[in-house]
Amino acid sequence: MTSQTFKNRMLAVALFVTASVCGHAQQFSMQALIEQSLSKIQQPTPEALLNCVAELKRIEVMFPDSIQPKHQVALQSLVFSVTNPHAPQTENLLAEAQQTIMKMEQMKNADQSDLCTLRGFLYMVRIVQNPAQNGRRYYLEVMQNYEKALKLNPENQLAKQLQQKFFEGMKQQTESRTSATDQ
Amino acid sequence: MKHRIAHIVLLLMVVGKLTAQITISGIVSDGRESLAGVNVFIVGTIDGCLTDSLGRFLFTTTQTGEVTLKASSIGFEDFIQTEDVNQLHDLTILMKERATTIDEVVVTASSFSFGKSDNFKTMDALDIVMAGNSCGDIVAALQTLPGTQMVGENGKLYVRGGESDECQTFVNGMHVLVPYSTQTENSAVRGRFSPFLFKGINFSLGGYSGEYGQALSSVLPMETTDAATSDKFGVSASLVDWNVGGTKAYHNSSLSFNAALTSMGLYDKLFAERFDFSRPYRKLSGETQYKKEFSASNVLKSYVGYDLTSVGQRIEGRCLSLKEHNVYANVTHRAAMGQGYTFFTGIANSSVFCDVDDARMAGDHYHNFRNEIHLKAEVRKICSEVLKMSAGVEDYIRNSSLRYDTYRYQLDYNILAAHVDAQWRVIPQVFLNMSARAEKFRMRNSGMVESDWQIMPRATLSYIPNKHLQLSLVTGRYSQTASDDYLAQSRNLLGQSIADHAILSMQYKSQSTFLRIEPYWKKYRRLPLLENGLYQPHGYGTSKGVDIFVEDHSIIKNLTTTLSYSYNDSERLYLDYTEVRTLDYASRHNLRLTAKYAVGKFVVGLADSYASGRRFPTGQTPHYHSVDVNLTYLLSPKVIVYSSLNNIFGRTNIFRYNANGSPVVPSRDRFLYIGIFVSLKNNKAYDISNF
Repeated sequence: MTSQTFKNRMLAVALFVTASVCGHAQQFSMQALIEQSLSKIQQPTPEALLNCVAELKRIEVMFPDSIQPKHQVALQSLVFSVTNPHAPQTENLLAEAQQTIMKMEQMKNADQSDLCTLRGFLYMVRIVQNPAQNGRRYYLEVMQNYEKALKLNPENQLAKQLQQKFFEGMKQQTESRTSATDQ
Repeated sequence: MKHRIAHIVLLLMVVGKLTAQITISGIVSDGRESLAGVNVFIVGTIDGCLTDSLGRFLFTTTQTGEVTLKASSIGFEDFIQTEDVNQLHDLTILMKERATTIDEVVVTASSFSFGKSDNFKTMDALDIVMAGNSCGDIVAALQTLPGTQMVGENGKLYVRGGESDECQTFVNGMHVLVPYSTQTENSAVRGRFSPFLFKGINFSLGGYSGEYGQALSSVLPMETTDAATSDKFGVSASLVDWNVGGTKAYHNSSLSFNAALTSMGLYDKLFAERFDFSRPYRKLSGETQYKKEFSASNVLKSYVGYDLTSVGQRIEGRCLSLKEHNVYANVTHRAAMGQGYTFFTGIANSSVFCDVDDARMAGDHYHNFRNEIHLKAEVRKICSEVLKMSAGVEDYIRNSSLRYDTYRYQLDYNILAAHVDAQWRVIPQVFLNMSARAEKFRMRNSGMVESDWQIMPRATLSYIPNKHLQLSLVTGRYSQTASDDYLAQSRNLLGQSIADHAILSMQYKSQSTFLRIEPYWKKYRRLPLLENGLYQPHGYGTSKGVDIFVEDHSIIKNLTTTLSYSYNDSERLYLDYTEVRTLDYASRHNLRLTAKYAVGKFVVGLADSYASGRRFPTGQTPHYHSVDVNLTYLLSPKVIVYSSLNNIFGRTNIFRYNANGSPVVPSRDRFLYIGIFVSLKNNKAYDISNF
């Protein structure tokens, strides 16, 4: 009897270890796939970025319950949009980024700081698309989301960098407006 | 030798692997044209590509046997085909447009949303402030929209032939008993809430869902901003008001305060006016808010506001003196509970004390107290992609008392209500919103109990073929108790008034143009009618018309223009009317044209308002006409200067006629407003308020 219990326990342990190893293997392969995709945009041409986003979406389909592919899909979609604000693909990518953020919001293990960063980035892209109209409209949303992201995680480097970029962009915008008015 | 053999074997394996690559190819279209940028791939792998500008795709895979090919693109249903990999060449993929899910659809018939709409803002607090002649007042800004009437002598919202008290205001879903500041007779009032308190304002001109009750014509639900993320401190000043406020932000909560003094004393000394004020209009206001976000979907909000208003005016040999205390407080909690459930609970209290000396004749005294407690609980559930439901209960507990010389009354009544709403995607592109609201009105007066049941069905059928077009048919029944003064003189017979709405809404939205046309028809029943000295529920009436609204951004860059036109034909037999006649506050034609142009740090606004004459038993007023201009200047990221001049041509508009035939005109023809808004402790621009 004792022997049988021992065997059962061993089986359970073996199953647990197998499951853990498989999990790690899956995580590892997901991580590797994401890194492989991202490595293709070291020269971030519009085409390379679009292909990267498409590839990340395939990885997202492979790992539907994981946050990381979703985060990268949203992030790279926004990177494409901010660098190509008036490209024909931009509106669709922004819509997809927004949908992906909403999906992430529904996930229990989503990092709130990352979510705030993405939201701030989304509004920032809207400002880049039309600074005159959207600057005043979305300024506070961008600021508040980055602030909140850094409040939740002061080490959030992406939020720090985006906030810095945003300050610089707004400063340039205000200065160019001032010089236009002065002339 | 062994090594060489091993290398050869490895090489053969690699070659074998390479030759095992299969090419997958084809073309993607939606049946009309080829689709570019579609992500085509083998599920479970990263093998795939995007279609080119002609919809073509071509990629290789090392997969063998049966695989699943997927094509996905936003706005289209995913295409999935499971097939032997060798068969996946020269494919023709036909993608179907994806039907909007019930959670994505926003039916906007008969309503205007400021704040977030379609997930992005269409208009915000600053837009309201900069609207033609609003001077920062929400109510005045809303009067640039179609469906509203120009009633200059009190400045309140009159919607589609309805009385001003038929439009009810809600803050975070909770009712506000008195949403206006008070004023003496024939002076325009303002809304008591600053537009900067709110992140979303949704103005419904009729046909609203079962959640809202006690409003015969329209509702104005407003949602306060979320918890602040940083500390703020700001001041603002103008010729007529001075404001100070700030916010302390904590980890996941914030506490705000705001104090304001409005006084017409200085303005009255600088600019002449027609009215003879013995004491200038003054309003002292204080507000505080506490908001806590337990998580992104679990939020507690509270608001407390207090206004003290006083004014004195010499009128026909008497010296009217008015003083009003208005306290409003609410606490709401909204929490997502998982599995698509969201729970909402709220409590609100409104208390208004009003005292007037020399109200009608020298030496008299008028005292009125009104109180309302509003309790509400609601649950929402997203059942599936095609069905969303909500249900709730609420209770309005009201009491009021009035003393005027020997006349006095004391009223206690409550309205218990329950509602069920279902939003259903019947077929792709066709949406049906059905709701039912039940209300029980129960009043105790002079020892007698009056009770009245109403069941009110409401439905909206919408056809939304794409993101540009919406067609809706809205119908429903609405009820509202008569005002306390009429209830008190009804000897327990009045109950609730009823209005039936039918609205057809057609709207088109493109990148730069928005067009909406809405014909409507309303029928009123059981309105209070004075018969033999008592108000009886025998009044009735109709209101029909059409509203047209056009907004355009395409004429020149940074220029926004709007046109709103309303035609209204309404008549009633109610109150002290002796025959069915046109309502004296309803002008048949209302037209507003606005333009807003941003250049550098300036934003210039121009508004032209026209309303045809109003009919009174003693005659018809001339038409109303006013041209207003405003200018906003961003002095620095922390300082905004705003100025406006209403009625720049100084036309003397006649609002109405008194019973003796004398015209009622505004206290002054033009009104100049210059204000400065300063953020003292903040790194943000455009954040001029203190919440």
